[in-house]
Amino acid sequence: MRLIHFAIRNIKGYGFRSLAIFLSVLVFAGLLVGTTVIIKGTQSSLNAGLQRLGANIVVIPQDAEDTFDTALLTGTNDKNLMPADVALKVASIPGVASVSSQIYLSTLYGADCCSFSETPLIVFDPSTDFTITPWLKSHLGRPLATGEIIGGSSIFVPRGNQYISLYGYNVTLAGNLEATGTGLDQTIFMTQATAQAIAQSSLTTAAEPLTVPSGEISSVLVKLKPGADAHKVSLQIYENVPNVSAIESPNLFGTFRNQITGLLLAFFVLMIILWVVALFLIAMMFSMSVNERKRELAVLRAIGATRNYVLRSVLAEASILALGGAALGVAGTSALLYLFQGFLSNIFKLPFLFPSAASLAIIFGIGGIFALITVVLAVLIPASRISREELAIAMRE
Amino acid sequence: MITLSGVTKEYRLDEQRVITPVRDVNLNIAKGELITIIGRSGSGKTTLLNLTAGLVKPTQGNVFIDDVNLSGMDDSQLSALRNRKIGFVFQFPSLFPNLTVLENVILPTGFTAKSEQKEASKHAHTLLLNMGINEKSAVLPRQLSAGEQKRVVIARALINNPGIVLADEPTSDLDAQTEIEIMELLKKYNQAGVTFVVVTHNLQLLRYATRAFKMENNQLTDITQFKNLNKLPLELVS
Repeated sequence: MRLIHFAIRNIKGYGFRSLAIFLSVLVFAGLLVGTTVIIKGTQSSLNAGLQRLGANIVVIPQDAEDTFDTALLTGTNDKNLMPADVALKVASIPGVASVSSQIYLSTLYGADCCSFSETPLIVFDPSTDFTITPWLKSHLGRPLATGEIIGGSSIFVPRGNQYISLYGYNVTLAGNLEATGTGLDQTIFMTQATAQAIAQSSLTTAAEPLTVPSGEISSVLVKLKPGADAHKVSLQIYENVPNVSAIESPNLFGTFRNQITGLLLAFFVLMIILWVVALFLIAMMFSMSVNERKRELAVLRAIGATRNYVLRSVLAEASILALGGAALGVAGTSALLYLFQGFLSNIFKLPFLFPSAASLAIIFGIGGIFALITVVLAVLIPASRISREELAIAMRE
Repeated sequence: MITLSGVTKEYRLDEQRVITPVRDVNLNIAKGELITIIGRSGSGKTTLLNLTAGLVKPTQGNVFIDDVNLSGMDDSQLSALRNRKIGFVFQFPSLFPNLTVLENVILPTGFTAKSEQKEASKHAHTLLLNMGINEKSAVLPRQLSAGEQKRVVIARALINNPGIVLADEPTSDLDAQTEIEIMELLKKYNQAGVTFVVVTHNLQLLRYATRAFKMENNQLTDITQFKNLNKLPLELVS
């Protein structure tokens, strides 16, 4: 009989104890991986959102940082506006390579004339844009025509329709951007010409007409020249352009980052506490188990098993339980997160992008190894102690 | 085959108290003998058996198996010796509860990397057949009677064809008929060349011995001359 079979038989034989350890590892590994996936998913989402904007600096109306962040992250409407000439002023600042202005609008709430309720509409300028235009070139191979839109990953043509209705005006969905897990996924991108066409049509077709602000914009996306210092440029924007806020790309979503930093810290502390509890719990269960089996393990040595064999047989039991529990915990948590990612994102107001298969594989691997190390650490002391006990004394107990 | 030379075992309980279950014991056991050691509970019989198997190290003196001093062996060498040369029949239930009868018997063959499991299984079936319980090879120990469990333990002790079997109270908790059956089995293997050392408080087992000893005051006394008497002397019974 091989060591592995001996370990499996003992796992089956001491079913209750095995189940308790298995479940401890399952819960621990599940929480560990779950937390990591959420953190990773949130970070990926923020990074994808930043990448989508493609700007080094975003200029917005003064004191509108929170509204802007929230609008981008959760897909709500940002109604703050600033004069359109801000774009020209920003463009003249040294170090700025290019600027592109955007206007943020929204569909109506619960109106029949709109396929989607309260969905953000971003109007961009194709002549200067560096957010959508590069995507159009590589994916569509042509500019957007009037009446065409690009949707975030969650925008779709309603079943049974050929078009998306915006204020009663039918637009064609020319393509969907990749998911970012942010509000950009629920956003519709269009050119000024399409926005004007919708506004014109809405006068007769919509419950409320769409107003495209004239001479006003919502934001200016700024791309810097190579080597330009973003911080210095943003200070110059503050000095030269009144009543605006210039947010450097790494500081974008700053309010949200501050909020989640606290949350992540709490998660981290919780994980450490959980790890210590799991370690202690598993060590205690195994300690009790090997104490109960002291005579059995002594007999094993008496009939010819080495200390090393006894140690390995106990570690093999622990490892099988650890890997089994970790695998199920990790797979179960991942499946739950995958199925309920939208729900969780809404509940916790978190931007969330489910990690890629490669990232998941790494997280799974780390989770499994961590669970294995935890169990082996927890088991090592009682197993080592029992393997060194004087046989004659152990057999008498 | 087995030599105990001036063997003493002490256990230190605390600073002042030391107990000495075995004191200056000398014993030579030749191949093919069936030695019976009797004595009251706590007389040191089991400690003597454990010393013989290298399960405990003597405080003084040496134990030799086939002229090899156990004191010079490390853990893995002692394990290998116990595995290949010594079979154990323990006083307490010693079968592994989660393994079947067959798995219990072949277990000692799996400790070495080179063991051939098919051969071991065949040998185990032969042993179980000789013990009269081969039909129960697939059941768990808890489904066996005390006598059947003892037979499985004997089969396990013999699986690696050891030259020596150390049996600690092999007939304890057994009825008279089963006791005879078990001892007859030991005798059968003894006649086939296996050396047995049996420790017991059951005087009835003396008649199976080639030599008999009494453990008293931590020392051995040869009582072979009394082993075939129908009525044992009073000092032996006490």
